[in-house]
Amino acid sequence: MSTTPALPHASSEKLHLCHAAEVREGHVKGFGPLEGYRRKIIVLRKNGVLHAWLDACPHYSSGTPMAWKTDAYLNGERTHLTCHSHNALFEMDTGKCILGPCLGQKLTRVEIVVDEDGDVYAAAPGEGGLI
Amino acid sequence: MNIIGPDYLVFGVDDVAAAIEYLTAWGLKPVDVTDKGGLFETLDGTGVIIRHKSDPSLPPPLPTSNMLRQQIYGVRSAEDLDAIEAELGKDRRVTRLSNGSIELKDDHGFELKFQVTIRRELDMPAEKINAPGAPAQRGPNEIGVWEDMPALPRTLSHVVLFVPDIDIATKFYCDRLGFVITDVLTGAGPFLRPKANDDHHTLFFIRTPEYMKGCEHLAFHMGGPTELMVAGTRFVKKGYQSFWGPGRHKFGSNWFWYFNSPLGCHFEYDADMDKHDDTWVAREAPNGAEASQIVLFEYREKWSPAGGPPPGAKG
Ligand code: FES
Ligand SMILES: [Fe+2]
Repeated sequence: MSTTPALPHASSEKLHLCHAAEVREGHVKGFGPLEGYRRKIIVLRKNGVLHAWLDACPHYSSGTPMAWKTDAYLNGERTHLTCHSHNALFEMDTGKCILGPCLGQKLTRVEIVVDEDGDVYAAAPGEGGLI
Repeated sequence: MNIIGPDYLVFGVDDVAAAIEYLTAWGLKPVDVTDKGGLFETLDGTGVIIRHKSDPSLPPPLPTSNMLRQQIYGVRSAEDLDAIEAELGKDRRVTRLSNGSIELKDDHGFELKFQVTIRRELDMPAEKINAPGAPAQRGPNEIGVWEDMPALPRTLSHVVLFVPDIDIATKFYCDRLGFVITDVLTGAGPFLRPKANDDHHTLFFIRTPEYMKGCEHLAFHMGGPTELMVAGTRFVKKGYQSFWGPGRHKFGSNWFWYFNSPLGCHFEYDADMDKHDDTWVAREAPNGAEASQIVLFEYREKWSPAGGPPPGAKG
């Protein structure tokens, strides 16, 4: 299961994303857009660890959605998060772009916590979160 | 050199099944398509060819992450192929294939092929509108929209390329192949029209760093703005990702709606593009949000202002 640190109490300012079991190893799902976020939040599991990224490709400053279809965020080999606008590839666990138009730039990480029931929450925008 | 426009674009994809699903949902017709890929046609026979990126039958890839492998242009006749071969044979290798078509690279290394066009002549009405002061285009009892109205791409319209050097690209297509500049977005690049096509553009360049070289989007002409919005709405409802639009461009006047794709570039539905001839004088405007569109909308779920006030509201 997840090695993401669990918090004993999810505070009410956290936004519920999903249950940790919904995101299996190597899989990716998009949630939202949640209240206060301008884009969906992408949740993935890599080497057992959950990571969350804003669904906003850094190629254009406004940040544009990356899937080609609902939840279709990966390249064909399923090794990288991919922006299906111009095929930029991002490392799943660091968010770093390693090929394509935003080479060297990074996706915006969304801080998440998993409570003792396995529910995954994102920080509300404004307090460690973002807009 | 009577170049008409792109007959086919060829892509080497990393997920053939995803591309097949996408192109079919886009409204293209699979022709001889297997799990290795194949051709996807518009109504006039132009379209997209896909193969897995490791398929040895594909032309070599660009040195970037872009999946475009070749642009196949249609020309009017075999004499046009001879003329292109004579001109471009002066300074590069031009390969003549057994079916008479020719292959070569442009000055940025994009793979090109020229063939006598495969496009079939279409005989279909454009979208018809009624307006006061003008004769009715739809007569009595002829309705404009219905739930399952057809909205399929009619032809491959244009391709937009990311290129590192606008001058090199423009000189190649204009000076060597007879394209004409219709308008220029300064800071991005020129819109080009080949000699045997009166569409505002079949080719547009956007200046980018070398590591982005490739296809930004390809576009398909629809029967009108209503078809464009119906096709796009159906596409969104199936879960595909809108990128920009629907809206209407200024230069070219065409309606647009762009989508992400598993082919590593955008796909655009377009409709009602301007036509030009050689008397047209190119306009120029600085690239930006204002210059690129007259209107822009965004998809939203269907909604209607039905129902009365909530219970308990004061009357
Ligand atoms: S918008 Fe993401 S790679 Fe261009
Ligand atoms: Fe376009």
